Amino acid sequence: MKSLALIPALLLCCAPLYAAGEGKDSLPPGASIEKDPKYPPVVSYTLKNGLKLLILEKTFVPTVSFTMMFKVGNVDSPQSKTGLAHLFEHMAFKGTKTINSSGYEKEKLALAKVETAAQALIAAETAATPDAKKVEELRAIFNEAEKEADKLIVKDEYWKLYNTLGESGMNAMTSTDYTGYVVSLASNRLEAWMVIESDRFKNAVLREFYKERSVVMEERRMSESDPNRVMWETLFSNAFSAHPYQNPTIGWMDDIKRLTRTDAEKFFAQNYVPNNATLAIVGDVRAAEVIKLAEKYFGGWQNRPLPGRDYTKEPAQKSEKKIDVFFKAKPALRIGFHNPGKDNPDIYALIMVSEVLSNGKTGRFYKDLVEGKQMALYASSYYSTPGNRYPSLFVVSAAPKAPHTLDALDAAVMEEIDRLKTEPPTQWELDKIINNYEADMIKQLESNSGLGMNLAHNQQVLGDWKYDWNTGVELRKVRPEDVSKAAAKYLTRDNRTAVFLREPAGK
Amino acid sequence: MTLLSANPLAALAPNLPPLKSIDFKPPKGDRVVLDNGLVVYLMKDNTLPVVHMTAFIHTGKMNDPVEKIGLGDLAAGLLKDGGTEKYKSDEIDKKLEFLAASVESSIGNEEARVDMTALKKDLDEVLDIYAQVLMKPAFEAEKVKIKRDETLEMISRRNDDPGRAAMREAVRRFYGADHPYGWRPETGTVNASTIDDMKAYHANYYRPNNTIIAAAGDFASNEEMIAKLKEKFGGWPKGEVQFPVIPPVRIEGKRQVFHIEKDIAQAFIVMLQKGVKRLDPIEYPLTVTNEMLGGGISSRLGSEIRSRRGLAYTVYSYFAKKPDYGYIVGYVGTKPETYSQALSEMLKQFELIKTEQAPADEVVRARDSIVNSFVFKFPTPFELISERAAYEYYGYAPDYLDNYVENIAKTDPAAVLETAKKMFKPEDAMIFVIGSSKKFDKPLSDFGPVTELKEED
Repeated sequence: MKSLALIPALLLCCAPLYAAGEGKDSLPPGASIEKDPKYPPVVSYTLKNGLKLLILEKTFVPTVSFTMMFKVGNVDSPQSKTGLAHLFEHMAFKGTKTINSSGYEKEKLALAKVETAAQALIAAETAATPDAKKVEELRAIFNEAEKEADKLIVKDEYWKLYNTLGESGMNAMTSTDYTGYVVSLASNRLEAWMVIESDRFKNAVLREFYKERSVVMEERRMSESDPNRVMWETLFSNAFSAHPYQNPTIGWMDDIKRLTRTDAEKFFAQNYVPNNATLAIVGDVRAAEVIKLAEKYFGGWQNRPLPGRDYTKEPAQKSEKKIDVFFKAKPALRIGFHNPGKDNPDIYALIMVSEVLSNGKTGRFYKDLVEGKQMALYASSYYSTPGNRYPSLFVVSAAPKAPHTLDALDAAVMEEIDRLKTEPPTQWELDKIINNYEADMIKQLESNSGLGMNLAHNQQVLGDWKYDWNTGVELRKVRPEDVSKAAAKYLTRDNRTAVFLREPAGK
Repeated sequence: MTLLSANPLAALAPNLPPLKSIDFKPPKGDRVVLDNGLVVYLMKDNTLPVVHMTAFIHTGKMNDPVEKIGLGDLAAGLLKDGGTEKYKSDEIDKKLEFLAASVESSIGNEEARVDMTALKKDLDEVLDIYAQVLMKPAFEAEKVKIKRDETLEMISRRNDDPGRAAMREAVRRFYGADHPYGWRPETGTVNASTIDDMKAYHANYYRPNNTIIAAAGDFASNEEMIAKLKEKFGGWPKGEVQFPVIPPVRIEGKRQVFHIEKDIAQAFIVMLQKGVKRLDPIEYPLTVTNEMLGGGISSRLGSEIRSRRGLAYTVYSYFAKKPDYGYIVGYVGTKPETYSQALSEMLKQFELIKTEQAPADEVVRARDSIVNSFVFKFPTPFELISERAAYEYYGYAPDYLDNYVENIAKTDPAAVLETAKKMFKPEDAMIFVIGSSKKFDKPLSDFGPVTELKEED
């Protein structure tokens, strides 16, 4: 979350970044190619079931990058089941009725026994006063059931298919807002990808659920060992008092311990529907062929209305919150100020606030805190964390350089912010930011996988694949005084939560 | 090359289309040597109005004088940040940032780099700064102070992230704290590095005959770009570079366990064994062997420790090549209550692969996974041309990349077994653990003689 991770915007001049026009005339009805030279010539197409396709032809190497983006994130994990979105993401690598299975009909029965045993065990474990002997008995039953089910598994077949295909960057990511599945392959694997992935999202079978849940608990423990992640988790859980942005995406440990395969199956059925997804395909492919294959393999994917998503609105913060976290690590600082969300026009001025403060070595934080006063090891900001679907936080991260203290640095950061409220940025500062934004928009076109992620995310989560280009247009309209006004309106004491990482006394 | 691959997909999933070979010959690009010895790799790419460049300078943290460890890092980090004779540091920052360009310098154990990115329209202006940064840095006193303070602060913070600390300290113990492959900067050695030292360091290593440049992007022609480089770098004088003698690697070669007590939610375990010298052709079968053992989620370590037993989120193996003996690493992060299960399983898997011949389909799959993803070494023209430059830098044969796939494809189960037998000696592996021993399910001494260390050691 540094610099203008936002993105693209300049005229794409020059030679053939994109494949020559051949074949474009043969696009099927309903498909359209972007013709405005401000944007790359993305082909858009929507299947009848609602799955949106974005295709961009690029040809330097014979490869293609796939991003399947679902608008379902940790905010959509039901109450007391935080982390469910992320745990499901792990389960999406465990195969289907035909992949990873030696015979699903038999396996289905075995999995049902595992589930019954697991639910009994969880109930006993989480009882108000657990009966140790009973827990052990139930654990033995559960272990036995799991062992039986495991006999019917073809281990890691899903992964092994992709190993053989020669995958690169096979991964998935869950955030508060979304879950994305990515992989890059040689471009002549296009149809193989269609075959496997359509099966994956139509027929997922959540086998080895409770082992993978243990893997996720280890992932959580890894985070708990990292002071940086501890600070962020503390910031979000304190800054938000009601909205689900308060929950860590990986989930609270107590919730993870009670998640069941039944929970995950329900979550899958409700949220993993074509009308909740965008598929971006960037690389050495022909759009017409992609559409034909997508129709063939994804056309039969059943759509369904999405569950309600009325989450508690975060009430306005009334007074400053300060939290000390004691951890055996050197001091650091995280600050969050509630922002008004992406649909509020003030957001553009807030983006500029963040960039004026921390864009590069000529940014105010670096110039005044790292160089000038030489108090900070680093100081940076970002306008929207942990997400964008709902009003979120404008955040500042900083760490003091000894012998300067955390509290002195905090005061200096706030002083710098206060200065911006009264001293608008110069035209030079604003022009620099726009120049960088536009250059980033060009550079992001270099990477197939990065661009695919951006297009899919912006379409599915923010509503328009051109989101970043349009943001660029809005940023140019921001005047110096707007930046000061936005800082004065949002970066206030009452709207602030500050987390101080301190070393425990006596260590 | 045409990559032929066995086709087990049909057996696995009959509805998959037949797997075709991948026809891709990585383009060569141009290689030119200027009169002063500067090697230049070029690839024109007019798809976007951007130019990228990188320089590899033959040096690295391992070339620091023992009493001034950190000198190379200070010098490299200050090439741009400390200004040049022609441009003051603040002027450079303002100019580059306004143009959305970047010039960044850095150093690793075995290479120093200076990178540049510029929009085409600004190329001449940015290239001039880039050339000055490489050739005539000024090491302004105020900027040296800031960089030195930052380095000292980073030293005091180096144990904040226990996973990274475990890996660094394991390698340090493995080679010895006074060997250049293992050492780390200390407050004293950083403070001992003066501005004059930095200037002398630069004058010695940053020479055209000790540098390889790779450039790709939107220039009209390779000739035009060469003319620009000649104009900027033609006057950079050659020099005889003095390299320190790196003492030969000595590895203890018997089981030792090191432990740092820390009350954290996971135990971080690093297991090290003696590895290979960089140009040893055993790297091909070893690459396949490692892919099978710990190369990903479906590898043996990933399967047994993570997916089947749920003991870890992060578990892997890899091998690091060096001019002298490199190392083979196994890594796992696991809760302290089950640490011995994860560690025992890791030792067992290293043992198993050297005692039982692997099934042919497993070897084929590992090979395919490397061969069929080879094309991803070159996602962009710049990455392709810098890859070529890097292989020359590290002394590989000029056709190394072109023959790589063929060399990997030769590996069969017998070669895997032979390689594993030769390379893996888990019984002698060094084991390094950071974690809370009060929660350990077994005493560490079950794994060998334990040396207790302090985080501050």
